Amino acid sequence: MIKGRCWKFGDDVNTDVIHPPEFFSLDANIVRLGLFHGFDPEIQPQLRRGDIIIAGRNFGCGSSRETCVRSLLLNGIGAIVAVDFARIFYRSATNNGLLCIMPEDPEALSVIRNGETVEISLGTSAILTESGDRICLQPIEPFVQCILRAGGLLSFLDPDVSNKSVQKSQNLIV
Amino acid sequence: MSRTFSDKVIDRHALGEFSDTIQRVKLSAVVGHDATIALIVDEFYRRNLSIWDPERVLFSNDHFSPPATAERADVSNKFLAFARECHIKHLLIDRGIFNQLLIEHRLCQPGDLIVGADSHTIMGGALGACATGMGSTDILFALATGTTWLHRPRTIKVVFKGKMCRDCSGRDVVLDLLRRFGERGANYRSLEFHDNSDEGLSIDDRCAIAGMAVEMGAKFGVFIPDEITADFCQGRDGERPPELLRPDDDAVYEDVIEVNLTNIGPLVAKPYTPANVSPISEINTEVITTALIGSCAGGRLSDLRDAAEVLDGRRVHPHVRLVVIPASVKVLRDALQEGCLEKLLQAGAVLNQPSCGPCGGIDKGVLGANDVCVSTSTRNYRGRMGHWNSRTYLASARTVALAALAGQIDRGLYSV
Repeated sequence: MIKGRCWKFGDDVNTDVIHPPEFFSLDANIVRLGLFHGFDPEIQPQLRRGDIIIAGRNFGCGSSRETCVRSLLLNGIGAIVAVDFARIFYRSATNNGLLCIMPEDPEALSVIRNGETVEISLGTSAILTESGDRICLQPIEPFVQCILRAGGLLSFLDPDVSNKSVQKSQNLIV
Repeated sequence: MSRTFSDKVIDRHALGEFSDTIQRVKLSAVVGHDATIALIVDEFYRRNLSIWDPERVLFSNDHFSPPATAERADVSNKFLAFARECHIKHLLIDRGIFNQLLIEHRLCQPGDLIVGADSHTIMGGALGACATGMGSTDILFALATGTTWLHRPRTIKVVFKGKMCRDCSGRDVVLDLLRRFGERGANYRSLEFHDNSDEGLSIDDRCAIAGMAVEMGAKFGVFIPDEITADFCQGRDGERPPELLRPDDDAVYEDVIEVNLTNIGPLVAKPYTPANVSPISEINTEVITTALIGSCAGGRLSDLRDAAEVLDGRRVHPHVRLVVIPASVKVLRDALQEGCLEKLLQAGAVLNQPSCGPCGGIDKGVLGANDVCVSTSTRNYRGRMGHWNSRTYLASARTVALAALAGQIDRGLYSV
């Protein structure tokens, strides 16, 4: 169960909007401060752990700079719900254990109001809004689930993994 | 049977299945640069990993080359120390942009499966390699295991016919595709380019097209290797590629699109997305301050040649700074030898070191709040090349040179 306050965005939110290049750094604090800075510098200081990004189509298109995903994680973003995602972003988020989910009905996210608190239940594969709307989610691909459950792709490189499905995938790798 | 090109490449590299839809594949090569590789160095050491095959890795310091700030110098040094400690076989220091260096290197062969820590790695498709960009964590995993996970993509076949007009280049062709597909029309797809044009597109034009396929969301943007590919490899490697893989004649495509090059005129992508495409003949006049010929999308020899042809014996508008950044040292030397660089310098251009430059808003030539730029670079997203309020138009090198002369972008650039 993930419960958090929603920040709504539109279609085609690109990586330069998510995290401007000037905040590219090896210093985690600089990376953290850059989130959505060009788009609206007021957003980042207001973020709270567990906040949820709601977006339209093609979230994360553009660059492969993983500082985008790092910044979202450093700011405690709990999940991103979008109609769909750009592929590099989706991979990088998944690889780093950041949950990206998509609604069954592309129009369904329109009932969510900016700033409202919603609950995401992966068990029932649905989002519950404050006003009682229920948004069904697309199932998460099994291997993507496996990566998320393991806590990220690099867990597959760990010599001592207890999770069975990770072990199975690991057998393919080692 | 019934296999597309990318199906065949993936089949040849398949190692097993992680799930019904996700394949594990072995990689032909892994490429990376200073900015994105530096991000994984600590994690790589912490896990005590080693590079699966240093001979199949190409690294270049193209983002900070040479570094402009102390912080970037530290990033660069961290990257270089890592590359040397891991005995990366193809560590190309200050030689240019890695996507271009990959094209110039025999590591990139038709039919290969390549991943790189930069979205424009997809440009390897110009030579018939299924190449794609990934984030740093994916690349760390790829460096350590020589493998990655991927969805088998659906394929859209794009057939080029006719003859490109004299004023156009591969950049105009890919802008035409962006106009058709939009920013996400090829999301997760493999774009399979069949060059049936009258004269055959040059490798430079193919690079411009394949590299920008990612701006439509594509996973691969790959030209079916042909005699043009083979001739290029022959010139580069001293031998033909071992094989020119082709899709099956009855391959199943999600869609088939015919593009008649004869019908394409000069195009421009207006701010703030590469898919905001308009014919130059319909553009509203806007005064510009900056013109850029460079980046992996437009800093090749043919681009410098086109610009030099326009600017030969003329002067750039006094209010415009024209920045020229060859995509690699090889391009720089070829352009020097040919004399086109001399013409550009005579016209008032400023020349920067082969590197990514201001394309990603990180190096010399970035834009201020009031700057308006016409550029051959990859993206014109808001804030990408500098200040949030700056504006960038994307166009071919010929159009950039014409705008630099006129001091503005306008519909009459080609009618003078």
